[in-house]
Amino acid sequence: MIKKSSILIVIISFFISCASVKEYEKVNINDPDMALSEKKCDRFKIAFQVYREGASGANGGKSGGGCGCN
Amino acid sequence: MKYLIIIITFFYSGSIIAQKDSNSVYKKRVLETIEVDFLSSYYDQEGSNASVTGGIGTEKLSDLTSTIVVSIPMNDDDVLTIDVGFSAYTSASSSNGNPFDVSGASGNGGYDDDDDDDDDGGYDDDDDYSPSAGDVIGSPWVASTGASKSDVWASINVDYSHSSDDRNTLWNADMSFATEYDYSSIGFGGGLTKLFNEKNTTFGVSTKIYIDTWKPIYPTELKAFADENGNLNQGFFNGISIINQNGNVSTSWNPTNYKPIKDKGRNSYSVSFSFSQILSKNAQFSLFLDVVKQQGWLANPLQRVYFGDVDNYYIGNASSIPNYTSPSNTDVFQLADDIERLPSNRLKIPIGFRFNYYINEAVSLRTYYRYYFDDWGLQSNTVSLEIPVKILDKFTLYPSFRFYDQTQADYFAPYDQNLSTSEFYTSDFDLSKFSSNQYGFGVSYTDIFSKAHIWKFGLKSIDFRYNNYQRNTGLSANYTGLGFKFVMD
Repeated sequence: MIKKSSILIVIISFFISCASVKEYEKVNINDPDMALSEKKCDRFKIAFQVYREGASGANGGKSGGGCGCN
Repeated sequence: MKYLIIIITFFYSGSIIAQKDSNSVYKKRVLETIEVDFLSSYYDQEGSNASVTGGIGTEKLSDLTSTIVVSIPMNDDDVLTIDVGFSAYTSASSSNGNPFDVSGASGNGGYDDDDDDDDDGGYDDDDDYSPSAGDVIGSPWVASTGASKSDVWASINVDYSHSSDDRNTLWNADMSFATEYDYSSIGFGGGLTKLFNEKNTTFGVSTKIYIDTWKPIYPTELKAFADENGNLNQGFFNGISIINQNGNVSTSWNPTNYKPIKDKGRNSYSVSFSFSQILSKNAQFSLFLDVVKQQGWLANPLQRVYFGDVDNYYIGNASSIPNYTSPSNTDVFQLADDIERLPSNRLKIPIGFRFNYYINEAVSLRTYYRYYFDDWGLQSNTVSLEIPVKILDKFTLYPSFRFYDQTQADYFAPYDQNLSTSEFYTSDFDLSKFSSNQYGFGVSYTDIFSKAHIWKFGLKSIDFRYNNYQRNTGLSANYTGLGFKFVMD
């Protein structure tokens, strides 16, 4: 576990050290389709997947609780 | 000297005021104006492994959901979001909590199979009605008209968020309440997000707690069996012929494992961690880790289980027993051996990874992978890909594909294959081994100037989504979503 956590920290540190992109260079990154989250209109799609599948979570949506279905 | 002090004080004061003004001028509001989202969806499914009828039977279900989300800027930094929604469903399998309601054992369709004491709609004691096995039309393949055939789920969620002046720190707190006929939920949570490295790196942590309560509804025959202390000649069972596998009348049906649930609580505690990083002008990724602990009654008390190591008993047409697992069976129903039973604890750990790449002005790439495992022995992989394609100025197309697979939970066995000697068992195919493919298509209309108006609100976007879902267990589903976003002038 400690070994895996260490590897994860090293990987994250590597990415943090990437050359940073300035605000004025983020036109493409700020495109709505580049958002690192599900769109609002997809929330019910995620909900039905939670109902029908054993796995849930790690997608910004519901991960358990709130209804009798998961 | 006196004048010098006055001049210095004047400029110093002016400098402070200027800095404040400067801040107020350049600090962009988190949300410029009130935004209103109208979201709705329609979902329907077909399948032949209904969990209410023990892993066999129709899974036909439709669900209509509608939600309004209002986001209100309280000031430059704070946003209040109120989310109110309802979901109305009809379900053939849920209706078979009481499959005997039309002209069957309960006679009047009013047998009260929930856990309260208002049994005023109880069994038919009418002397004029004398049901026999031949009257019963209950079947796992036929929807009944019982009370549990439909339900409405309603919810409200209130969220308050605050951003720091430099927009590098964001916290939020939220509360929610949801209710449906057999379930209620109170939830609250909060989160903290920090941005570093010129907003190229983001760390987030959030937590959510749900305090939920069952108002359990049981399969009719099990509830009646307990109510009559096992007497198969009274109440619900009065005048009813129970038949065995050979079609002979029998009084040996004895679901001794069945006991109503005592702990009606179901609590969920989750902690979510997120990390995101901009890699270049065109690429970024994020990592998600959730740790979810659930405690309480984690099974569904309406879902039947049939044991493979005990004899089977039925109500209905004996000649249909050989065809019990076929949709051609419309007039015989197998009496449950028990409701599903699952451990009172579950630890779920999903780990997600998202990578988005901006290919050019017209095309982007959105990818997602998730690995999930829990202490019920279930593991899964999820992969999805969406390729937004901008066409014209205001329209974007969203073709997508998602693949999902999972292993079987430790306690799952199909229809009539669980063992009565086990501590836990379920025939819910949502916990079985399966894989699924989901094909999707969507189109969005966006008008950044919000020219079209309804009252004081300008239409900013319209989103349409369609998805077709196919599971290799035979379940198929269609999902259609529609969303409108308005912004206040």
